Amino acid sequence: MFHLITGGSGSGKSAYAEQCILDFQGNNRVYIATMYPFDEESHKRIQRHREMRKEKKFSTIECYTGLRSLELPNDADVLLECMSNLTANEMYQEQGAGEDTPEQILDGIENLRKKVRNLVVVTNEVFSDGITYDPDTMRYLSYLGEINQQMGRMADRVTEVVYGIPVPIKMPNKNGM
Amino acid sequence: MKLIIGGAYQGKKEYASREYHLNESIWADGKSCSWEEVLCAAAVHDFHVLIRRQLREGKDILSLGKELCEKNPKIIVVTDEVGYGIVPMEAEERAWREACGRVCTVLAEKADEVVRVCCGIGRRIKG
Repeated sequence: MFHLITGGSGSGKSAYAEQCILDFQGNNRVYIATMYPFDEESHKRIQRHREMRKEKKFSTIECYTGLRSLELPNDADVLLECMSNLTANEMYQEQGAGEDTPEQILDGIENLRKKVRNLVVVTNEVFSDGITYDPDTMRYLSYLGEINQQMGRMADRVTEVVYGIPVPIKMPNKNGM
Repeated sequence: MKLIIGGAYQGKKEYASREYHLNESIWADGKSCSWEEVLCAAAVHDFHVLIRRQLREGKDILSLGKELCEKNPKIIVVTDEVGYGIVPMEAEERAWREACGRVCTVLAEKADEVVRVCCGIGRRIKG
């Protein structure tokens, strides 16, 4: 099962995503962390998420770039958080994929989807402030938008979390997948 | 509690007035009212602006959300959804957007009804 979870800032999408992983009731929960700790605010943010996960028995793997070379066991229930960070890392970090960002990330997602037991990816709704940014930021928006669309096609289930409320966008069909 | 959310200028307040039969005079205005007024108001609009004002006063937003649920559990809250853009460069803007999300998540959990209004039309997402 591949479940794509989206939502705005502070919407409770992480808490919901963690609960989805717990609901799979597996024995191997893996958290793929993508936020690069570059300043005090990001450290605090990472700490807050660690606190949230503390009792939930995740093993954490840091992956700032190069998702497609990540190897994970088939029995894993994997939570990747968050696609908006991973995309920025690939675009702007030295060892990142640059212009090949959407392609390389989607390769990585497809590998994971085929390999692991369940995959939950958290992404971010950053597309609706109506502001025309500088060309570089617009390119970021187009890359993340493209990745989200492709993941939406691949996913068995897509949910938007609105203030903690899961609003279904795409549901599995009747035979369960 | 009822929580009415949506983008700016979507007819959220009008929706609430129609749906819950509210007179214009009962509304507290989040742009100008005090926090104490909200604690005893029947309805408040522009709640997202109220959050910004409270943040500027250095208040702890999550405790405010909990206080509102405890002291005024029947209130109708109308707020813009503001968390759907590129994370702002300015720390205050960033904090405000996140605070709006977190406090509305607290309210939504307690609310018996959450309605998202778009083009004047309400869709119930809870209750």
